[in-house]
Amino acid sequence: MGLAKYIIRRAIYMVPLIIGISLVSFLVMYAAGDPIQLATAGNPSITEAQRQFLREYYGLNDPIPVQYLRWLDHFIHGDFGKSLYGGRPVNEIISSLVWETAKLQLISILLAFFISIPAGVYSAVKQRSAADYTVSSVAIFGISVPVFWFGIVLILVFSYYLGWLPSAGAHGAPYLWPVFGIKNEFLDELAHLVLPVTVLTFANLAYNVRLLRAGMLEVLRQDYILAARASGIPERKILYKYALKNAITPLLTLLGLSIGTMLAGAPVTETVFSWPGLGRAYVTASLRLDFPLIMGITMIITIMILIANLVTDLVYAWVDPRVTID
Amino acid sequence: METHTSSRAIDGANYKEVDIEMPPLLEVRDLVKYFPVYSKGIFRKKIVGKVHAVDHISFTVNERETVGLVGESGCGKTTTGKLILYLEKPSSGQIFFDGKDVVQTFSKGSKEEQLKLRRSMQMVFQNPYASLDPRMTVYDIISEPFKIHRHIPSNEWKDRVYKLLEMVGLEPYHAERYPHEFSGGQRQRICIARALAVEPRFIIADEPVSSLDVSIRAQILNLIMELQEKLGMSYLYISHDLSSVRQISQRVIVMYLGEIVEQAPTTKLFDNPVHPYTRALMSAVPIPDPKRKMNVIILPGEVPSPINPPSGCRFHPRCQYADQKCKEEKPSFSQVDVDHFVSCHYWHKFA
Repeated sequence: MGLAKYIIRRAIYMVPLIIGISLVSFLVMYAAGDPIQLATAGNPSITEAQRQFLREYYGLNDPIPVQYLRWLDHFIHGDFGKSLYGGRPVNEIISSLVWETAKLQLISILLAFFISIPAGVYSAVKQRSAADYTVSSVAIFGISVPVFWFGIVLILVFSYYLGWLPSAGAHGAPYLWPVFGIKNEFLDELAHLVLPVTVLTFANLAYNVRLLRAGMLEVLRQDYILAARASGIPERKILYKYALKNAITPLLTLLGLSIGTMLAGAPVTETVFSWPGLGRAYVTASLRLDFPLIMGITMIITIMILIANLVTDLVYAWVDPRVTID
Repeated sequence: METHTSSRAIDGANYKEVDIEMPPLLEVRDLVKYFPVYSKGIFRKKIVGKVHAVDHISFTVNERETVGLVGESGCGKTTTGKLILYLEKPSSGQIFFDGKDVVQTFSKGSKEEQLKLRRSMQMVFQNPYASLDPRMTVYDIISEPFKIHRHIPSNEWKDRVYKLLEMVGLEPYHAERYPHEFSGGQRQRICIARALAVEPRFIIADEPVSSLDVSIRAQILNLIMELQEKLGMSYLYISHDLSSVRQISQRVIVMYLGEIVEQAPTTKLFDNPVHPYTRALMSAVPIPDPKRKMNVIILPGEVPSPINPPSGCRFHPRCQYADQKCKEEKPSFSQVDVDHFVSCHYWHKFA
């Protein structure tokens, strides 16, 4: 079978996509303004000659095609250049932040996914019951409540008033956060995760539950569910084996999309909790027109989304026999 | 199953001479199903009415008999089928299968008794496109009941699945395929094979051919009849298609708005329909002869809402013979012939 061939073909299709996306991002960034002017605007002691020197130094005076090709050449060699602010290599900045963001997002996405399964199934089975309305209300609350507001309320209650959990950052080191009086690095990390993970899980959960509930309601109406009941299959097995397998596909799509966009997914949450992550860095870089960093993060996200899409398609073909890959 | 099958097959050949005095295989007594109608409120649901889906119906199905259940869509045919299998909970009434109380068994009985009943009764659904799990292979679909009932040792599952496929006119290599790879007629054959997997004595066939191509219908009907001869099966054949009912059933029950209006052996019902509703239905059966003129009786109006069924005889608003008595008084069953019953005040006018 052509699974390897299929993956290779899809990977080849990704090349023009990546080049296209990088070109568009590059042009949009160029149209947004002069990063050197922006960076030095508040500094009256800088002269026009010094600005000119900086532009020359970062290659901003060359024609755009030349600049783009130079960037592309470096990109192909795995080098994203240096940040305009502080001069740290972009590769180093990204690798120091990517893990923190991935940790926060993966935990939240998976938590939301696994909580939504029993919640979605239950509210579909008990459609129009008080429990269903409760689950739906919580879900709608999760969709409609703004992350910055909910995050700040949590900080206010659990950090400021109760003092149970840290309000900012991913690590307390060197001052570790005591969990039940115990201080160690693992518990410290967990304590820092609780609030941002709660906010993100809540936001993700809402969509998951609504999608699964709708899917289950649709599937439970089908005659093959009646046929399964008629042959005496226990109700639990009917729900979680037969119905769920058919209702879960939209959830897998959402899971694939969330994992694809997760690195850029939570700038607001990261900002509220001063989380040292990529989302926050992306927003800061965009405001400063720090083009090497913007391009670096854009490309990482692009590649992640393309890979997640490919994996989602493969998972689809695996769970649904009607979908074939070729 | 070998000996079982063959002994039944011998008996099955003379099923038409079945002794009338034998206790019926299935007996439905005064069966009622009301569905609640809820108000539109968001938080508090209030019951504002009820749909009279099945309203005090009684009938029997004998061993090795096919009983046709006909009526327009929405008259409660399918609900009746689901009630018998306890896929819907009856509001009241009794169902006896081979002397066992179905409602009692499923509401209070032990797990084993329930499984035993599940093994004796099966259903084939109307839409073969919705009644097969798209994520399962044909083999998994047909062998699933084996896992539940354990009536066949697991090393014989494969042979049994192949045999069932053969019985319904499919090939062993079809077992590894998924439902979407089959046509409607083939899917219905798979559904029949799944129903047969538990070795049932009674199958409720809910419009098994109405969603199929006309050219395929005869094949499936023949298969159903063939299985009856081979396995001594009994059927409740639910349909709105009178031609197929005539072809397949020995006895016919006519339903209108949740109630039975007439029941009789097939030939009597088709030759001498008594109830005005049955007469209108019969007149609409197409005659495959372009030279003969059809005298179709057109019923005025629509089927009334089952939420507020008409008083007296439910058919009175659409009946050209109805008078004040029909409006006020519910007709009881009158016996037209030894096995022909009709629920009409003025049946003797039409008999």
